[in-house]
Amino acid sequence: MPHDHHDEDAHSLLPSEPALRVKALETILVQKGLIDPAAVDAIIDRYEHHIGPQIGAGLIARAWSDPAFKAQLVNNTDGILSDLGFGGRQGEHIVVVENTPDCHNLVVCTLCSCYPWPVLGVPPAWYKSDAYRSRAVREPRQVLAEFGVIIPPEQKIRVWDSTAEIRYLVLPMQPAQSHGLDESELALWVNRNAMIGTGLPQPPAKT
Amino acid sequence: MTGCKMKPHHDMGGDPAGPIMPDKPDDPIFAKPWHKRVLGLTVAGGAMGAWSIDTSRFWRENLPKADYQSFSYYEKWLAALTNLFVAKGFVTREEIINGLPSGPKQPLHAAALGADRVLAMLAAGAKASRPEIAKPLFQEGQKVRTRLPDATKRQMPGHTRLPHYAADKIGVILFYHGHHVLPNSNAHFLGECPEPLYSVEFSSADLWPDGHAGDVVIVDCWQSYLEPLT
Repeated sequence: MPHDHHDEDAHSLLPSEPALRVKALETILVQKGLIDPAAVDAIIDRYEHHIGPQIGAGLIARAWSDPAFKAQLVNNTDGILSDLGFGGRQGEHIVVVENTPDCHNLVVCTLCSCYPWPVLGVPPAWYKSDAYRSRAVREPRQVLAEFGVIIPPEQKIRVWDSTAEIRYLVLPMQPAQSHGLDESELALWVNRNAMIGTGLPQPPAKT
Repeated sequence: MTGCKMKPHHDMGGDPAGPIMPDKPDDPIFAKPWHKRVLGLTVAGGAMGAWSIDTSRFWRENLPKADYQSFSYYEKWLAALTNLFVAKGFVTREEIINGLPSGPKQPLHAAALGADRVLAMLAAGAKASRPEIAKPLFQEGQKVRTRLPDATKRQMPGHTRLPHYAADKIGVILFYHGHHVLPNSNAHFLGECPEPLYSVEFSSADLWPDGHAGDVVIVDCWQSYLEPLT
């Protein structure tokens, strides 16, 4: 047995208080037959390993490559997402908002944390933070600057506050340097923040 | 009635706040293992059909102010979910206080979400749209005035999706989305009461003293949140 791991011995083996409370609640719910723990595992697996921003990125890359698909994605969003198997929970009513040289779109939920789960996955911590929820509607230009995005004063900003069950997905402008690339290459340019409006498409990091 | 005019703590659009902390590309989806457990329990609990997403939202925002402000995101979900299970009679206060179920192991409840139903449940979602039962009162392009949030509530304390920063303001109807379930009613088990839902565009300069000219904020508003401009 190890004797010399004093650092490990020093910290408590008990889980953090919220972790214990979750465990207690789950134990009660499972014992009472209200929750199937395997269903909880399956839900987590979907959002941890299957549903994420790569789905949205694939849609944007296809829209950049195929004008007919783009028209469907913008005008018949729920129909096309359902056909492709990308509809569902927290994305039942998706509206695609397109960035143009005249207009930049930014999405927020000031009242809670509404977000298009089936195409972007679960929202990142900053999207749910008090700071983002408070400031995005009032000072979007300063907020965007903190994400490294500078919007020229003459380019209008539209901030979409997701107060109903409509979920907004930003269709970013295709960067000029990416023209001519195929769909799978283009998808690597589309990061999650570009589809929320707090980022712009970027060349993929060199590997 | 002064208490009713207080802006609730969850309605924070426009409040002063500190810097935003963007994440890094390789940050995990769930910062802590218990976060994912709360998400899974919340989604599975909701799938029982004993309450709607509107009710869940109301119970989260109705947590005491000190808890709402000090709890992390998933702690709010956990606290509201626990309270809902007790309020709906599925679990007793004693069981929660003791951290233990009071009786022997029960078979899976008829309404409980089995693992075999998860994929279909997530893929189906729960549409909020309903058949159009009346023509919408407002047309796209029409100017409207928003009411006060408390004036849209069906009970006190109550639920509304009209934020204070967009209350008693003049905006323009941008889109009509058809009829949608009204959260103000549905959150309190008072019926779905579907209403026309609109995206309403407000000029930032009308909302904020320091709003950038030309910028706009769009808020989705049910018809009962709006009055015609006379």
